[in-house]
Amino acid sequence: MDVSVLVIQPSASEPIYRQIVGQLGRMIASGQLEPGELLPSVRDIAGFHAINPMTVSRAYSLLEAEGLLERLRGRGMAVAATPGRAHSEDRRLRLLEPHLLQIARQARELELGAEPVLRRLAELLEE
Amino acid sequence: MTSAALNIDDSPMRSEAQLPANAFPLRARALTKSYGGRRVLDDVSLTLEPGSVLGLIGRNGAGKSTLIRALLGLIEIDSGSAQIFGEQALALGDRGKQQLGYVPQQPDALGWMEVAQMLEFVGRFYPAWDKAFVDATLERWRLPRDRVLAKLSPGERQRVELIRAIAIRPRLLVLDEPAAALDPVARRDLLREIALRANDDGTSVLFSTHIVSDLERVASHIAFLHEGRKLLEAPIDDLKELFARVSLPAALAAHGRVAGELHRRIHDAQGTSALTGAVSIIIERAPGEDWPAIVREPGVRLDALGLEDLFVEIAE
Repeated sequence: MDVSVLVIQPSASEPIYRQIVGQLGRMIASGQLEPGELLPSVRDIAGFHAINPMTVSRAYSLLEAEGLLERLRGRGMAVAATPGRAHSEDRRLRLLEPHLLQIARQARELELGAEPVLRRLAELLEE
Repeated sequence: MTSAALNIDDSPMRSEAQLPANAFPLRARALTKSYGGRRVLDDVSLTLEPGSVLGLIGRNGAGKSTLIRALLGLIEIDSGSAQIFGEQALALGDRGKQQLGYVPQQPDALGWMEVAQMLEFVGRFYPAWDKAFVDATLERWRLPRDRVLAKLSPGERQRVELIRAIAIRPRLLVLDEPAAALDPVARRDLLREIALRANDDGTSVLFSTHIVSDLERVASHIAFLHEGRKLLEAPIDDLKELFARVSLPAALAAHGRVAGELHRRIHDAQGTSALTGAVSIIIERAPGEDWPAIVREPGVRLDALGLEDLFVEIAE
């Protein structure tokens, strides 16, 4: 994986470590990153994007805790050999969570109940 | 630092011969300073943790430079205390100074020397001097090696000082408004250098700026300074995740204080528009806690805030 694949938006309200977790999570879930594939070092990502190395470490540690990455002794981080959970429905649904939260907030602001929102969402999904 | 390095040190100073490796690079308690009856620092406490990059945000005149000078013991303070690596800043010994790279907003030391000459001269005092970095960056930042420092523009002068401060490979790097002197490419170079030094050498960094986007890339912690007072100090991720703006419609505005309320603004109080009487409130939640129940009321909006928005909201 090339470090330039990550898109970092420092001014977004989403913290940078979450941006990294989200992007790598989606790349793993979609198979763009394959099991066993080595990831760039913390230093390479921090240097290329001029971001704090602790931010990158934090993202890697979270993905490791979720079982998506594994630490290979002396070689760095790699996509977990058996990211079974990566493809589970639960895991994929969680990647949508920020967007669902956003919809829920805006629906409340518009004083829309669950029923019309879910109906429209179901239509969109069946298109 | 290895004990061997300490043994070859022939300095007669005692206390700084063994700066504790885990002491806070900077730590200030209740700093207060007035100039001519005007209070420019008001009870400011600040801690820079080892290996962290602390960005100090404030408008021009907020007291950032004064705070930095007080932290480094370069000015006398009226009350409070400032420590560098656990030592009193005002009495910092040679070893402490060796580990500190400081770039003021308007450097003026050694103005009679030429650029390369000054860097070569200063480099001799620092065992870890990074000559390769100096040569590469002088070129990249288009600085004339043989120009006398006093004849450089203020921006060029500050760029030379940034190179000097980074090249000594300090444990603590303190930069006062470094971005003002740099074009976008050089600014990115500087931020990258800060990120890599923090990673490779564990360098702790304090830098002040009024350009928030610079901080957002590389800072691990943020402090807001406004009119001489510290409004907030927190890890940057917490600022983004634990603070938000709640907008309440007029009908709910009479609602009392919201849990975690920091700041409240009433829209168009005297007006008659649809927004009249609506309020927006900046709230803070504890880590792991949900937002207060009112954000789930109909018509209430919750917005995540970028750093700049947060600063503007609470510093108005």
